[in-house]
Amino acid sequence: MGAYVLRRLIQSVVVVIGVTLVSFLALQIGGDPTYLFVSERASLEEIEAARRALGFDRPLHVQYLSFVGDLVRGDFGQSLSYRQPAMGIVLEALPATIELTLFSMLMALSLAIPLGVLAAINRGTAWDGSVTTFAMLGQSIPNFWLGIMMILVFGLYLRWFPISGHVPFLTPLIAGDVGTAFGNLPRTLFHLVLPGLAVGTYSLARNTRLVRSSLLEVLEEDYVRTARSKGLPEKRVLFHHALRNAWLPVVTVIGLEFGFLLGGVVVVETVFSYPGIGRLLFAAINQRDIPLVQAGVILLAGIFIILNLLVDLIYVRLDPRMKLAGGRG
Amino acid sequence: MNHMPMRIRSGVCLLALTLTVAGCAQRDENTIVVGLSADITTFEPGMISSRDNANIARHIFAGLFSLDADGQHVPDLAHTLELTDDGTGYVYTLREGLTCHDGEPLTAEDVAYTFNRIADPANRFTGNSPGFVFTSIGFQNAEALDDLRVQINIARKNPIAFGLITEIYVHCKDSYERMSLDEAASNPIGSGPYRLASWTRGSEVVLEKVKDRGNFQRIVWRIIPEASTRTAELVAGNVDIITNVVPEQIEAIEASGRAEVHAVSGTRRMYLGFNLSEASRQMPGGEAIQDPAVRRALQYAVDVPTICRQLLSVECQRATGPVNPPNANPNLTPYPFDPAMAERLLDEAGWERGDDGIRFSIRLQAGRGRYVNDVNVILAITQYLEDVGLDVELELLEWASVYTPLLRERSMGPLFFLGSGGGLWSPIYDMTDLADVDSGTNYTHWDDPRWFSRWAELSEAETAEERRPVIDEMLQVFYDDGPWLHLYFQPDFYGVSNRVDWEARRDERVYLFDARLRL
Repeated sequence: MGAYVLRRLIQSVVVVIGVTLVSFLALQIGGDPTYLFVSERASLEEIEAARRALGFDRPLHVQYLSFVGDLVRGDFGQSLSYRQPAMGIVLEALPATIELTLFSMLMALSLAIPLGVLAAINRGTAWDGSVTTFAMLGQSIPNFWLGIMMILVFGLYLRWFPISGHVPFLTPLIAGDVGTAFGNLPRTLFHLVLPGLAVGTYSLARNTRLVRSSLLEVLEEDYVRTARSKGLPEKRVLFHHALRNAWLPVVTVIGLEFGFLLGGVVVVETVFSYPGIGRLLFAAINQRDIPLVQAGVILLAGIFIILNLLVDLIYVRLDPRMKLAGGRG
Repeated sequence: MNHMPMRIRSGVCLLALTLTVAGCAQRDENTIVVGLSADITTFEPGMISSRDNANIARHIFAGLFSLDADGQHVPDLAHTLELTDDGTGYVYTLREGLTCHDGEPLTAEDVAYTFNRIADPANRFTGNSPGFVFTSIGFQNAEALDDLRVQINIARKNPIAFGLITEIYVHCKDSYERMSLDEAASNPIGSGPYRLASWTRGSEVVLEKVKDRGNFQRIVWRIIPEASTRTAELVAGNVDIITNVVPEQIEAIEASGRAEVHAVSGTRRMYLGFNLSEASRQMPGGEAIQDPAVRRALQYAVDVPTICRQLLSVECQRATGPVNPPNANPNLTPYPFDPAMAERLLDEAGWERGDDGIRFSIRLQAGRGRYVNDVNVILAITQYLEDVGLDVELELLEWASVYTPLLRERSMGPLFFLGSGGGLWSPIYDMTDLADVDSGTNYTHWDDPRWFSRWAELSEAETAEERRPVIDEMLQVFYDDGPWLHLYFQPDFYGVSNRVDWEARRDERVYLFDARLRL
């Protein structure tokens, strides 16, 4: 397993370099970023001076290679807008997004499993129809629209939850300030409810359908029929035999979904004024703050790679039939 | 619920209670909360460039003079100004007893340090101060003459140098010499009424009052990019003032009974520019607009008042040129909407309708998402132009990555839609967009000598009275044969809670020194 992990990590370096190259080129396609860092009244001479100051006067390949060279030394460069180390700014925003992503995933999973099971064991009934309809709606509704509707209903009219903002939990926790972190926790959760629902609804809907279909498939298997014919109680058949095996595809999706959610919360973070990495990168892309975008992209790519690896490892643990390529399982 | 184990039930109850308590925070009477649409990026005085960033910074950093809501410069850190005989040395005398947020006395040495630090090329600052102010005034250096007198030296006489110098954020030498540039970006040490208490990037900036000016102990600037969320926070009573209210939400705010909308005629000049460059001449419509008679004809083609009423929800202040009222030429009146006149003038200029009803084709470029309801405004303008026989090829472009580079290369058009920031404090400041044929903001490449030859007179004139007739004559030329189709001064909308008394200014500056709770 060690060799497998090492090989995957080496491959991931190539992936990260590829990702930085693509994002670098994508940002350059839009033209010279210098214009976004000068006053609207700047003269051509002032623009030229700013271009030199920002390093955009160098050929593209020199700019990119210089960035990669710095990267190898662990220097992600300075954000052009903030004039501070780019990775530091990204890491500052990461805990908020992790809080949002974890909260929405936990919420989605804690509801998706019972709903999926409910639909599967009541296949063809009104329960099944209701859950399936809900799941289809959940996958169809755009999350920004859902977010705005929730703000109107639960934030403005009912006043149950805050409309926007964020109260940090992980940041003080990481800093070792446990008291502040847990003191903040109720307000953190309170602020997470609406954005968490907006982010997590799609995931909830998808996982509900996944649990339902996976469970339905497993319930048709011979070993389930055998368990039932042995006279085991239906609950034991369901939870001990069927659901355990129905987990496999769900685990795969969950692992990948965390990565997707991390990078995909941009719109919801904007709607709820949530200071996470998605909104930061969205602003950085608009501002063409290349070092900041690169730092964010590298971090997200790294997280995604590690999650993929973890999913593969967990998959092998859950399903003894699977083996790691080139490894001994 | 009856079947729920006791531990889970207790947990649910506890969570519900904590959430309820968390949601019941009372508004603090010593705190005012402002919802901004754009994030701020720095507190480095040499790097500040956006209006939102500048608005917050102005509460932390004072200037030598400051600009009041009527466009008058009033003493701030300095109480007097004298010019040297040749008009290139500005000698400011500071008030006595000034202090910095670090507790050190603020002296002329700090002011000189401020100017020289911002201008230092080693610092590679690209903000508004070095990128616009210093180059506009030809900044040379600053020197402390004694503890209270500082001299700012500029390259040549400049009638608006005094106003531009007020834009500089004075900061404190001892602290900045100790800090790296990284540290300075998030640790402002100024001399204004407020100091930075905390800054959560992308979320909020909290300022704390340290000097007498201002009625609130704390100012919280919350970053709320989404317009509907800002409105919801205002109506819910969580925010006292919001900027950039979109016209569609005005009614909702007014109907809430908790807040109202302050609409002011802003200082941003909205216009349709005619690109008169040689490159533009080769494009569809580029030849036609070279003729001032065609440009004048098109002034009558667009129904600006209707655009304002229908798409911006207000009666706009109409423009007759680049200068904001009350500094504009008082003898000029906005062109009326008269499509028949437009058609007659186009016929006379030799651009009669063809068999297909079209006089000539022209490309119109505009950025999207930058100005109030800009896409709908530009669609309406397109329709008005087509009604008088133009075949308009409209290109709506992404602002940051596509339109801005075109703008800075001065290659949009031949017709382009733009808003240019202006001011109330000087007509000349508003005219400097076209201070030179080749200036970066003369996007039109207009080169009429009746305009450009008069700048030397403006520089040499000693008094405002001497300058006024020259300005009026220049504005008359701009009105008759200029390179802009005059539209309107962009209205700005602010949402203001019933909880506070605060007056919105015309110049996009959100200053809270005079804001107070309603009794």
